Amino acid sequence: MVTRLTIFWFLLSGTALAQTNLRGRVTDAQGNPIPGANILLRGTYDGSSTDNNGAFVFVSSEKGPQILVISAISFKPEEQPVELSGKEVFVSAVLKEAVTELNAVVITAGSFTAGDEDRRTTFKSLDIASTAGATADIAGALNTLPGTQKVGETGRLFVRGGDDNETRTFIDGMVVLDAYSPSAPNTPSRGRFLPFMFKGTSFSTGGYSAEYGQALSSALALDSKDEDETTRTDVGLLSVGADVAHTQAWTKGSAAAKVQYTNLRPYMGLINQQVDWITPPLSTEVSGAVRQRFGDKGLLKFYGNANEANFSLYQHAIADPTGKLPLEVTNRYRYGNLSYQVVLPRDWSVRTGVSYNTSAYDNTLATLAQRERGTALHVKAAFEKTTSSVVIRTGGELIDRDYRSAWTDEQQGTLTQSFHEPITAAFGEADITFSKNFVARAGVRGEYNGLTHNAALDPRLSLARKLGQGQLSLAYGRFRQSPQTQWLRANNQLHAEKAEHWMLSYQLITNSRTFRAEVYYKRYDDLVRFTVPGTLPSAFQPLNIAMDNSGNGYARGAELFWRDNRTFRNVDYWISYSYLDTRREYLYYPTAAVPSFASAHNFSVVYKHFVPKLKTQFGVTWSLASARPYHDPNRPGFLQGRTPNYSDLSANVSYLPTSWMIVHFSCTNLLGYDNIFGYTYATTPDAQGVYAGRAIRQPATRFLFLGIFITLSKNKGINQLPSL
Amino acid sequence: MKTKATILLLLMALTVRAGDEVFLQAMGKQIGAVYTAQTVDELQGVVNALDRIGQAEKGRWEPLYYGAFGCLMMATREKDAQKKDGYLDQALERVNRGLEISQDNSELLALEGFVHMLRVSVDPGSRGQRFSGMSMKAFNKAIKADPNNPRALSLMAQMQYGTAQFFGSSTSEPCGMAKKALSLFDAVKNDDALAPRWGKEMTESMVKKCNP
Repeated sequence: MVTRLTIFWFLLSGTALAQTNLRGRVTDAQGNPIPGANILLRGTYDGSSTDNNGAFVFVSSEKGPQILVISAISFKPEEQPVELSGKEVFVSAVLKEAVTELNAVVITAGSFTAGDEDRRTTFKSLDIASTAGATADIAGALNTLPGTQKVGETGRLFVRGGDDNETRTFIDGMVVLDAYSPSAPNTPSRGRFLPFMFKGTSFSTGGYSAEYGQALSSALALDSKDEDETTRTDVGLLSVGADVAHTQAWTKGSAAAKVQYTNLRPYMGLINQQVDWITPPLSTEVSGAVRQRFGDKGLLKFYGNANEANFSLYQHAIADPTGKLPLEVTNRYRYGNLSYQVVLPRDWSVRTGVSYNTSAYDNTLATLAQRERGTALHVKAAFEKTTSSVVIRTGGELIDRDYRSAWTDEQQGTLTQSFHEPITAAFGEADITFSKNFVARAGVRGEYNGLTHNAALDPRLSLARKLGQGQLSLAYGRFRQSPQTQWLRANNQLHAEKAEHWMLSYQLITNSRTFRAEVYYKRYDDLVRFTVPGTLPSAFQPLNIAMDNSGNGYARGAELFWRDNRTFRNVDYWISYSYLDTRREYLYYPTAAVPSFASAHNFSVVYKHFVPKLKTQFGVTWSLASARPYHDPNRPGFLQGRTPNYSDLSANVSYLPTSWMIVHFSCTNLLGYDNIFGYTYATTPDAQGVYAGRAIRQPATRFLFLGIFITLSKNKGINQLPSL
Repeated sequence: MKTKATILLLLMALTVRAGDEVFLQAMGKQIGAVYTAQTVDELQGVVNALDRIGQAEKGRWEPLYYGAFGCLMMATREKDAQKKDGYLDQALERVNRGLEISQDNSELLALEGFVHMLRVSVDPGSRGQRFSGMSMKAFNKAIKADPNNPRALSLMAQMQYGTAQFFGSSTSEPCGMAKKALSLFDAVKNDDALAPRWGKEMTESMVKKCNP
C-alpha cells in the first residue's frame, strides 16, 4: 500500500525531478534582436522574456513533446515544437512583422486625410463647425482643402476642374440625390445634411474605390454615428431660426430626432441684401436616426430626413432695370436610408443597405410653372473578407432613378420631359498587402445602364509605398456618371460622361502634423455637348437643343497641404494651396475654354485657437482665389473676360460659459471685400449694339450668425461640442 | 478497497487545491511585481509573465486585468505618442478579453475608463471630447456594477474634477466622490488575495487637492 502510494506521488510530482534548460534567441527578419518578446510553453506557466540581446533562458519541469510559443508586440507569433528530456534545448526564432493598422501603409491617393484619429476621416463634425467661414456647412469646410475651387456664388463643391454635379454625396455608402438645399440663382446654397448627425466626413478628390460609382470627380462619404450615446436634449437658438433635438440611449442602441426651423426673414430685414426677396428662404426640417446593435456583431442603422423649403424673389432684367419677373421655388425633400452590417465567421463581413430619396420642386417664373419630381432607389450589398495580407471586397447595387418635369405656360400649354434610368452595377476589389511598406488595391466596376442599354467596365488601381516616415501613393481609375438631369431629361439617349484620373501623392503624418503634396491629371471624354453652340440655357426652362456626347476636356494640377495642431499650444491650423489648369469643350462652348467655375490658384489658411482662460475658441479663415473666366459678348472671343481675384477673411468665436452651453458667433468677409464672381449679360444688344451687363456679387457683403446651443442631460459634463 | 478510493479522492482534491495554490502563488508574485516595477522593460517582463499565466488559465480574468494594468503603467512611462497609443491598445485588448470572461466586472470596467482617460492625455485638443465621453461611460458602468469600487469612484472623481476646474464650476461633487473613495479603501475588506488594491495614494493626493 505504502509503495503504491509512493509510486502515485512519484507519478504526480515526478516531473519535477527531471528539469530541462531552454535557451535561445529571438530576432526579426533582418537579424536584429527583439527585446521583451514573450516565450512560453503552451498550457504551462513556464517561460521567460528576452533581454536586450533577444536572448532568453528558462528552466522547465515539463517532459516530452511540447509547443514553444514566441510572441512580441507588432510581430506575428510563432510556434516551435520542442522535446523536453532533461537535455538543454536551444531555439532560434525569427519573427515576421505583423501588419497592423498602426504601422501599415494605407492607400491615400485622392482620399483626403487631414487628421490622424481615423485615417479614413477627413473631418469630424467639430472640425466643420469650428471652421470660420464654413458656417457649419460640410461643403464650406471642405472648400478650405486642396483640390477644391472657390465658386462663391454657388456654395458648392467643385473638385479639380469638375463642376458641382461631379461630386457625389453618399450616406453610409448609399447615394444621395440633390445634395444641396434650394437657393436663388447666384446665391450660395447649403448642403442638406448637417455635419452634426454624422461621426465623420471622408472626402475623396479622385481615384476612389470601385464601390463608388456615378461620381465623375469626387466622392463625399458621410458616416452616420454608430457609437452608443447618452440620453440628452439639445436646444439651439439661432439668429436664423431654432432647433431642438433629443437622443434616447439604451444598452444596445439609441434613437435621435431633430426638428429645425429656419427663417431668414428677420435677418434679411436687418441686413441689406442684393437679392430682391419677396419671401426670404423659409425651411422646416425633421431628421431622425436609429441605431441598434444585435449581439456584438450586427449593427442596424436608419437615417432619415424630411425637408420643406420655399422662397420667392424678383428677377430683374439686365437691359431694363424696371422690368422684373417673380420667381417662386418650393421644394419637398425626403431621404431615408436603412443599413445593416454584420460580422460573419471566417473573417467575412456584410454591409447591406437600401435608400429612397424623393425631391419635388414646384417653381413659377412669371407665367411659366414647372413641376419637377425626382426619385431614386438605391439597393446595395457588399461583402468583405479580411485575411492578414488580403482584403477582398465585392458586391452589387441597383440605382433606379425616375424623373419627370412638366412645364405649363398659359400660351404654350404643357410640355413634359422625363426619364427612367435603372443602373445595375457590380464591383470587385482586392487590397493586397505585400509588406507593411507596400500595398496595392486593384478593382473593377461594371455597370449596365437600362436607359441607354450601355454596359461598361471601369478599372481602378491604387498603390502605396512607404518612403522614409511618409508614403508615396499612385492611383489610376476610370469613372463615369450619367449626364446632369437638365440634359438627360431633354435627350434620353445621352450616355454617361467619362473621366480618367491619374494621381501621384506624397503624405507624411507625424504626431499631429500632416504634410501632403499631390499632382494629378484628369481626362474627360463623352461630355454632353450641343451640336450647335449657343448660350447656357436657364435650368428652369425646358430645353429643345440637339445634344450628343462629343465633348471632352482635361484638368491637371498640383496641390499642397499642411496641418499642424502640435507646435503651438491650443492651436490647430492648416494651409492649402491648389494649382489648376483645365479646359473643356462641352455644352454650349464653341471651342475649348477654361470653364467659368475654374480658377488657377486657390489658397486657404484656417486657424483655430482655444484660450482656456476665456473658455473660448477663436477661429479665422482666409481664402484667396485667382481670377475666373466669364463670357463678355461685347468683345471678340469666348469666355475671354476675367473677374478680379477673390478674397475672404472670416472669423468665429465659440464661448463655453458652462459645461452645458455654447455661444457661437461668426462673421464672413470681415474686411468687406466686394467679390465679383462673374457677369451676366442681356440676351439682346441695345440700340447702340452693346449687350448690357451686370456683375454677379455676394448677396450681402457679410453674413453674420449668432447661435446659442444648450444641452440638457443627466451627465453634466456633456455639451453640444462633441456633436457639433 | 474503500480506503484506497478515499485516498485517491483525497489526493485528487489535494492536487486540484494544489493547482489553485500554484495559480494563486504565481499571480501573487506577479501582482507584487506589477505594483513595484519601475521601467518599461521591467513592466514588459511582468506583463509577459501574466500573459503566460493567462494562456494556461483561460477561464480567469485576473491575469488579463493585471496584464492590462501593466500595459497602462507602460503607457504612463512612455513619451512617444504612437508608442503610448500602442500600449493603450494592448491594455484595452486585455480588458476586452477579460470582460468576455467576467461580464460587468467593475474592476475591468474601471480599467477601461482609465485607458480612455489616458488616451485624452495623448492629444487633449483633438481627443478630449470623444475619449472623455467614453471614459465617463465606462466609469459609470463600473460604479453601477459595484457602487463601492474605490478605484472606479476615484478615477471618475478625477475626470469630473478636471471638467469642473475647466469650467470654473463647483468641485464639491467630485471632491465628495474622492472622499468616499478614500474611506472605501480602508473600509472594504476583501478576502480575495487577487483583488486589486491599488489607487489609494492617487486618491489621497486627489483629496489633498480638494482641501489645500
